[in-house]
Amino acid sequence: MSDTIANPSATEALVADERARSAERARRADSRRRLMQNAGVLIPFLIVLIAGLAAVPNFASSSNVTNMLVNAAILAIVGYGMTLVIAVRGIDLSVGSAQALAACVAAAAVNSMGPVVGALVGIAVGAALGLANGLLVTQLRVPGFVATLSTMSVFRGLVLLFTGGAPIMIASVGFKSVATAKVLGIPVPFLVAAALGVAAWFVLDRMRFGKHVVAVGGSPEAAVDTGISVNRVLLLAYLVAGATAGIGGVLLASQLGVVNGSVAAGLELQAIAIVVLGGTSMAGGRPRIVGTFIAALLLTMINSGLNLLNVPSFYQYVALGALLVFALSIDGAQRAAVRRMLEGRHS
Amino acid sequence: MTTIDTVTPTPGRTRRGANGAPDENGPGLRQALLQFASKQYLVAVLIVLCVAVGLAKPSFWGTGNLSNVLFQASFVGLAACGMTLLIAGGLLDLSVGGVIAVSSIAVATVLPHTTIGGAIVLALVIGAVLGLINGLLVTYVKIAPFIATLGTQYLFLGLAFIWTSGKVVPITSSHFRDATTGKLGWLPVPFLVFVVLAVLTFLLLQRTYFGRTVRAFGSNERAAVLAGMPVNRSKVIVFIVAGVCFALAGVFMAGRLSSAEGNMATGFEMNVIAAVVVGGTALRGGRGTMFGTVVGSVLFAVLANALNLLGVASYWQYVLTGAVLIAAIAVGARRSSAAEVRGAG
Repeated sequence: MSDTIANPSATEALVADERARSAERARRADSRRRLMQNAGVLIPFLIVLIAGLAAVPNFASSSNVTNMLVNAAILAIVGYGMTLVIAVRGIDLSVGSAQALAACVAAAAVNSMGPVVGALVGIAVGAALGLANGLLVTQLRVPGFVATLSTMSVFRGLVLLFTGGAPIMIASVGFKSVATAKVLGIPVPFLVAAALGVAAWFVLDRMRFGKHVVAVGGSPEAAVDTGISVNRVLLLAYLVAGATAGIGGVLLASQLGVVNGSVAAGLELQAIAIVVLGGTSMAGGRPRIVGTFIAALLLTMINSGLNLLNVPSFYQYVALGALLVFALSIDGAQRAAVRRMLEGRHS
Repeated sequence: MTTIDTVTPTPGRTRRGANGAPDENGPGLRQALLQFASKQYLVAVLIVLCVAVGLAKPSFWGTGNLSNVLFQASFVGLAACGMTLLIAGGLLDLSVGGVIAVSSIAVATVLPHTTIGGAIVLALVIGAVLGLINGLLVTYVKIAPFIATLGTQYLFLGLAFIWTSGKVVPITSSHFRDATTGKLGWLPVPFLVFVVLAVLTFLLLQRTYFGRTVRAFGSNERAAVLAGMPVNRSKVIVFIVAGVCFALAGVFMAGRLSSAEGNMATGFEMNVIAAVVVGGTALRGGRGTMFGTVVGSVLFAVLANALNLLGVASYWQYVLTGAVLIAAIAVGARRSSAAEVRGAG
């Protein structure tokens, strides 16, 4: 102690040294984190892609590729909303039911009011359901996962009441052709997903709202102290999750042509799986849209491959559950590794 | 029924029961009664509901119908006993439906070859193993409980479907059906088992070292670790006990349906969590009330029965269960943020 007081220049040198070392550690931890994030999704993606091409007949046939791109697009769009919610330390378990309700209302609206209005109504329904979730979380202070667990049940009940348990056929040929139409050989839903992905990336990475999301997810208390309206960010996140479920629902209705009250059951698990697999941490504060997009492709390839191999659909449950557990363990390992790097080797 | 910590860790500390047992002081008695009334408002809700339904449909009070309500309540209730332990420990299990499916398929599969007792023991062992998997994932792989069990829910359901190839497994043994759906007087056997299990769980949670550990890490995990409590081990055990409770619910469900299949209990976790939370066990952990869980289970059974008697579409039950759950949690959040100092109870 007396040494450091006696030698101010030595103290400064020590401090500068320590600062440099800690900066170096932070930089290394960051690069390690990036590596694990990318490896976590890219390695399984490549393995499944190669395995699919090598072992699955008709995997690369144009009709299957189109089909996979449409499915992946719908999943990815819902995944963007989920990415946002998970990045603010929330979770939305109601996306499947919200998507079903949006799809059924959209289908009914298309039949009565035309395709464009129908699509807009579907998206609006999704956004309204998301808003309801957001209000429950921010105003009534219900924890996110239990609020959305309840609304999952409520929305599912509503959609069954709306349809009366019967399927709704969509008459409009124009509406149904949207999901199968192609521009430059690429299905329209995929282009929509790509465009929304770019928009989401831009908002999260380059705009103030994105910084707020990272701040709220990283530490809500600190975000409050910085003057960020945490409730507003949370509300918007849930609203966007609902809206993306709505967009997905409209595309799903267009793809299927016939919707009923039980479509999109279990979607929440797929959405959470692709988000976590894509490198968005469950601990919050780290949205990763590109990862979500790639993981959506990965999950779709797995499902499609299993279908083409005539594997009973039950195995898809197991594959999905295993994938989710795998992604979550990677997430945990990654956080532990980063913590070790930041704290230095000896702790 | 109190939730007071009877085993005070340090002898010097005085008991400060916020939920007011009629301890030593005379004047505290009236206050204690008031507090008891405000705490057990759910019983009042239940009575009002029963009276209202009884006025609208007198057939509600028929012995057959009441016995049926208790019968219905016991399935959710059996599983809710385990869930109360989990939630008191700040944990959660969404894989209820998967555990029930796998264990009751096991019962249905082995029943032609073994005794009823053997089949039930096998189901309970399977429940324990599945609970162990959940516990290990949460404790040692360090995945948040609700999402780890969401993943295992699908793993277990997948297992159940693979095991049965998606078919329904019938139970032909009439002895098994009689044993699981029979009645003592007009009380159904599952309800009696439920009451016994609830008492056992109450004793486990409130009167044992293990229960105290559970409530301790539910309230503040870090403090429990620093106090040298076996937190990780206890967490795994809680998941195992919960798995056994779910399997027991599965055994009786298989008896009622006289069959087992993968889809038999999908969405069941919602009802179970709702019964526990509406009963007054706070989701943030640290305490649990078994009496509340029993009342909550019966309340939901009465509600479902009333909707059936009144001829409401069964889809409304989804809406109503979710809405009641949200309302209970919102009210609980408001009460706790307004009146309660954390750790006072």
